[in-house]
Amino acid sequence: MIELTHVMKSYNRGKVKAVDDLTLTVKPGEIFGFLGPNGAGKTTTIKLIVGLLRPDAGTIVVEGHDVAKEPLKAKQVTTYVPDFPAVYERLTGLEYLNFIGDVYGVPKADRLARIDKWLETFELASAVTNPIQSYSHGMKQKIVLTAALLPAPRVMVLDEPLVGLDPRAAHQLKEMFREHCDAGKTLFFSTHIMEVAEKLCDRIGIIHRGRLVACGTMEELKTIDKTDAGQSLEEIFLELTDK
Amino acid sequence: MSARAGSGGGSDGRIGRARTVLTVVRAGLRSNFGLAVLKHRLFKEKKDRWLVPVIGVAALGVVPMFYGVVLLIQNVYEVLKPMGQERALLSLGFLAGQFLILIFGIYYVISAFYFSRDLELLIPLPLRPAEVMTSKFAVIVINEYLTVAAVVLPVVVTLGVVAREGAGFWVNAALVYLALPVIPLAVVSLLVVVMMRFINVSRKKDALILIGSILLIVMALGVQIALGRSAGNGGPGASAATITAFFTSPDSLLNRVGAFFPPGIWATRAVAGGFTGEGLANLALLWGVSIGLFIGMVLMAEALFYRGVVGLGETTGKRRRLTRAEMSRRVSSGRRAVAAVFWREWKIMNRTPIFLLNGTLVVVLFPAIMVLMTTIDTGGGGSSVSGDTMALVKAMASANPLVVILATALFMTICGSLNGTSSSTFSREGAQFWISRVIPVAPREQAAAKFLHSYLVAVLGVITAGGVGAVVLHLKAAHLAAAAGLALVAGVLLTVVGMAIDLARPLLDWSNPQKAIKQNLNVLLALLADIGILTGVFFGVKALIKAKLGTGAVLGVVSAALVLLAAAGYAALLRFADKRYPAIE
Repeated sequence: MIELTHVMKSYNRGKVKAVDDLTLTVKPGEIFGFLGPNGAGKTTTIKLIVGLLRPDAGTIVVEGHDVAKEPLKAKQVTTYVPDFPAVYERLTGLEYLNFIGDVYGVPKADRLARIDKWLETFELASAVTNPIQSYSHGMKQKIVLTAALLPAPRVMVLDEPLVGLDPRAAHQLKEMFREHCDAGKTLFFSTHIMEVAEKLCDRIGIIHRGRLVACGTMEELKTIDKTDAGQSLEEIFLELTDK
Repeated sequence: MSARAGSGGGSDGRIGRARTVLTVVRAGLRSNFGLAVLKHRLFKEKKDRWLVPVIGVAALGVVPMFYGVVLLIQNVYEVLKPMGQERALLSLGFLAGQFLILIFGIYYVISAFYFSRDLELLIPLPLRPAEVMTSKFAVIVINEYLTVAAVVLPVVVTLGVVAREGAGFWVNAALVYLALPVIPLAVVSLLVVVMMRFINVSRKKDALILIGSILLIVMALGVQIALGRSAGNGGPGASAATITAFFTSPDSLLNRVGAFFPPGIWATRAVAGGFTGEGLANLALLWGVSIGLFIGMVLMAEALFYRGVVGLGETTGKRRRLTRAEMSRRVSSGRRAVAAVFWREWKIMNRTPIFLLNGTLVVVLFPAIMVLMTTIDTGGGGSSVSGDTMALVKAMASANPLVVILATALFMTICGSLNGTSSSTFSREGAQFWISRVIPVAPREQAAAKFLHSYLVAVLGVITAGGVGAVVLHLKAAHLAAAAGLALVAGVLLTVVGMAIDLARPLLDWSNPQKAIKQNLNVLLALLADIGILTGVFFGVKALIKAKLGTGAVLGVVSAALVLLAAAGYAALLRFADKRYPAIE
């Protein structure tokens, strides 16, 4: 579960409000899609949730742990996939996975089983002993995803996770999303792909200029503009962010 | 039709190309020195303003040291002047500067020519390989002006002022200063371009770059040694007549010192000669050879540069699926978090050639270079410098063991701790720092792991320096042990200081690993802080000796003070890490 309460974050000494009074709850077992135009505050919100940024005001609680007050407990149950897979290029894929397994304290048996499973899924098994430096962009994205899945976290936070993935890997990732949440865990991800959000997410939030302008299930979002009940998510998005 | 840049012949075309080169050079300088970023941080974000007074204070702290150096130069000048050997001092300054460039320029050249990520942007542009390389070369030359300034300027300025030199001296000094880095850098560039051309076809590029760099350094030293030997004209073991001739013949010392690297002699004669025929001829020689080598480098670049650089970043590994048993063996059974972070540091540092060359290898290479330098047979007359040095050390050790222990400890500390390992430990993470921020490992534990890594490098330096003390200078085991004890404790303090400085303002947005360690202001700030601490220890020891304390008591007091400072510093560093990590955005 992720709870954001009146979260504020600004840059340039308050001149640019990146996140403006954001209150939002993502429940266990829920896939939450976070949409918004470029520069709307999606990545800032995500970085606030995983502790990469500190809010100017408000609280963020992950699985009952206040990110500001109990950062280690919050981090222990969360994994994060950034929008750009900046990973240790001089380590091999397996060394990176071992590092993540060590710092999250994943027991060896679980580690072996999960590494095996996700390397097979993402077709990385034959490249895992090579330096990450030799991977393509998509392969780097996959190794970051594998690392994020390795601790089997209660909460996964992903920033544009589908960018750079081939169609097969994207399909498998979406299946993994569902599997993760069916086990009662939480998944929060940002995306620009409306179709994915519409089909996959249990609930969707739309952020514009730092403010949450809409939040709910697809059905709830369709009721926002009552004049046209048959709107697609794309049309709703364009209408809400065209101001 | 007007001749566009790149369209070839004609003076318009040449002007166009020259403009293009200038534009690329300007862009290279702006990006390398981060002027736009600095301006933004200082005046827009107002983030780094606190640095201005800090650097001011640090610079003031170095003033006493510089004053000491100037006094020393002045004294040596007074001694050499009556013998007509004063020019040797100039030559020493120029040589030291050029030697520095020759050795450390290899790192600069390799990383600027082959590892800066802007190459990915520059290569697709309609620029000739030689133009890209010229822009990179210009950036390194300007960087080197700053490095050389610290070594050459005190000597030239002190001599010019003390000897009340005229306009010819100063004008030529400025012109010589401008040409000084060109010859060694062009030589290094030529060698590196050829080396990289062949390395790029191999699959083990990183290892070959490392081996190649070390070989180049050894070659540079070899050339020095060979030149030194061939220039031999009577060492300390020569006959009395030779010695008399040596001291009565003006500039014999200059010739011997300068024989290590002839451009050093040309530079000296150009400056000392001023506007005389000798001065101008040597100036022309220095500039002529510089320009000739530069042109040679440009021609070579045109033929070989892109073949060495294109595809260098690509690594291909043999793809092989691990068997279940192999996977089981290679999947860790669970290290403690501190150990995991330590091994990550260790692997990344030692697998990144630029980091390895500037960190771990420096602590091994520096003492090795010292050994080579002190055992060079400069005279060719049978007696070696090491023989004299050893005799001197032995005499000193029996007369005043405290001085020998302290000097050895200082040498060990310099070898172990005065490198960029600790002061770039956070910066080296660069764009990957997000991982350290999101993993569930307390910042203090991560700092402890980084401390262990940096300190291990320092310990390695103490050990290699100890080896030099034992093998070359034949120091007594007891003296070496006492010195190592002091250096190990001082190493804790200096490692902590370096880490704290880097943690206060980590440089994370780099695209060329060189920037994280070699061009990182934190490394310089830490160096200044280290010099300040060592100066403080020096004055402390001086006061203790003045208070008539015995050798044991002085060592005891110094050790105790260092232990206390190191322990307090370490505890403060861990607290600082807890506070600082969450604030790094």
